[in-house]
Amino acid sequence: MSASELLQTMYDSPLGTSLAESLYVYPLVEGIHLLSLAFSFGLIVLTDLRLIGVVFRQVPVHIVLQQLRPWLLGGFVATFITGILLTFAAGPGLVEAPIFPAKLLLIFLAGLNALWFEVKFGCSVIRWGGAAVLPAGAKIAGWISLVSWSLVVILGRLIPYLDSGF
Amino acid sequence: MNSQELFQTIQNSDIAVALGQAHVFFGILAQLFHISGLVLLLTSILLVNLRLLGVGLTHFSAPQLAKYTKPFVFTGLGFLIISGIFMLAPSAALYEPNPAFWLKLKLLAVALVIQFTLYRAVTATETPNRFVAIVTAIISLLLWFSVGLAGRAIGFVAA
Repeated sequence: MSASELLQTMYDSPLGTSLAESLYVYPLVEGIHLLSLAFSFGLIVLTDLRLIGVVFRQVPVHIVLQQLRPWLLGGFVATFITGILLTFAAGPGLVEAPIFPAKLLLIFLAGLNALWFEVKFGCSVIRWGGAAVLPAGAKIAGWISLVSWSLVVILGRLIPYLDSGF
Repeated sequence: MNSQELFQTIQNSDIAVALGQAHVFFGILAQLFHISGLVLLLTSILLVNLRLLGVGLTHFSAPQLAKYTKPFVFTGLGFLIISGIFMLAPSAALYEPNPAFWLKLKLLAVALVIQFTLYRAVTATETPNRFVAIVTAIISLLLWFSVGLAGRAIGFVAA
């Protein structure tokens, strides 16, 4: 099944059709997708900037991670669920331009990077989190996260301009 | 002059016409500045308000966070207002009859008033009354997120 066939099947499903045709639910889902960025994207950027050494330098990394994590993850749950719902309501036009596939690829990359950070640095963060100079790998993970999530948001905003389905 | 005439005058102004004729690239750029401004503003306000509720980045006090995020709030507001005018001016007369647009402006006005009165006063106090802090946080969060939702609604209400 090709990507556009899959999107057509999603669109034709009861969920996709009712969402696309709903007067209030669709705008609300789109609104939540956008505004939940304040939690998901905004707080991950803050965490990345801490790893890079731009903000909150006097606060140990593990404290920033630990105190922001529930809000950040909650935000990502909201952003992802509403994003999946929007994909159901989008139809095959979504993949006519490569913007959306590129966005998905970057989300995958950002996810891998987060996983790598957790495995490599997550357990030992209490030991290095308060150091004046953070491990180079942690800093690189911060940069990769910052760049990839920023591109995800930018590409997302470009979808209505460059994909023909909208 | 009523508001429809005013908005028509804005749309017919040289600057608005020039903005309208600009390449679509600038339109996209304005959208990207609008979304960056939104994240800068909302995430900053979110951090401070979570702290007023007693959660989030509790390593700091609310006044510390408010002071720390102040430049981000103003940068965000600057991005939002300038890019917003850029998007509005070339088709101002189309926005004027849109109820979501006016709702957004009214909510924005109230949010700004609260921001520079109640919110400023509460976040300047090292140990504010717990009840006042919670009420302020809820009002501030509801207002700013409503401004965003009303903004999203503009495109769906448009005739």
